[in-house]
Amino acid sequence: MIGLIILSIFITLIILAVLIISNEDLPHSVILFMGFGLGSVILFFLFSAPDVALTEAVIGTGVSGVVFLVTLLQIRSKEVNR
Amino acid sequence: MINMKKINIKKDISIESLVVSLLVSVMTIMLISLFLNFDVVSGSIGTEIISINADTTGTANAVTSVVTYFRGFDTLGEVTILFLSIFGIGLGLEGYKDKLNIFAYENRLLKTAVDTLFPLIILFGFYVIIHGHLSPGGGFQGGVIIASAFLLMFLAKNDDFALNHKIMGLIEALSGASFILIGLLGLLIMNRFFDNFLPLGTLGNLFSGGIIPLIYIFVGLKVSAEITALVEYFIRIKDVK
Repeated sequence: MIGLIILSIFITLIILAVLIISNEDLPHSVILFMGFGLGSVILFFLFSAPDVALTEAVIGTGVSGVVFLVTLLQIRSKEVNR
Repeated sequence: MINMKKINIKKDISIESLVVSLLVSVMTIMLISLFLNFDVVSGSIGTEIISINADTTGTANAVTSVVTYFRGFDTLGEVTILFLSIFGIGLGLEGYKDKLNIFAYENRLLKTAVDTLFPLIILFGFYVIIHGHLSPGGGFQGGVIIASAFLLMFLAKNDDFALNHKIMGLIEALSGASFILIGLLGLLIMNRFFDNFLPLGTLGNLFSGGIIPLIYIFVGLKVSAEITALVEYFIRIKDVK
């Protein structure tokens, strides 16, 4: 049963990764990237690495996503100004 | 006919080069003797560490004792890497601290919720830091959780919320210095960098594990100050006018 869950999360992560690269809209792919981080949190937890899972939950899903989004917004506002 | 040139030994070999070559040869001999005397642990080093963990460090979480005790020097390197990366970002984005340029619109929901959430997230961050030797988590994770609370504050309060950079710098510098000071005290008292010189206490208690909770508190303070500075650098922009 656990093996089935892990396998399904693997397949979901691969689909998400393909979607992240192929997406035309960059903010959309950042949101998908945060979802990818959530999936890998579950994987880390199931592979009995709760410390790494906690790190990934805070950094991969929270801070790095916000930093990416903010950078995109900053670049866009500069392009609008020019 | 070969013109034999007279070699002036006194001129070619100076005292400095003699001293340097002597020091290098002594260090080479020390290195070779260290390599020859190094006994490789048979089997895997992981099982070895787990089997001696409870007796030597007194922590319930073996991962924490690997990070702060058995590989404490590596953690020092990681903290240095984080400090240098934030330093580089600060150099690159210097001057981009005039005003917030994003999320200029009002968000009532976020503004109301953040007053309740901010102290709770800070409390949770400190819980994760202080219980690093008992449960999953520790300095890095708790520090980033605290920084995420400040990130939420930046997003909700716009320009009403400002950090005191003097206090931030003081926290960062003092915690980093005390982290190294603990390692040096271990070297002085127990002859090993990052060795335990405090009583271990009983396994599973909050006040146990010797220096490991102290190290994690300092790492947590340092990481939280650094990540908060990083977030602030990114969400502020230069006033172009």
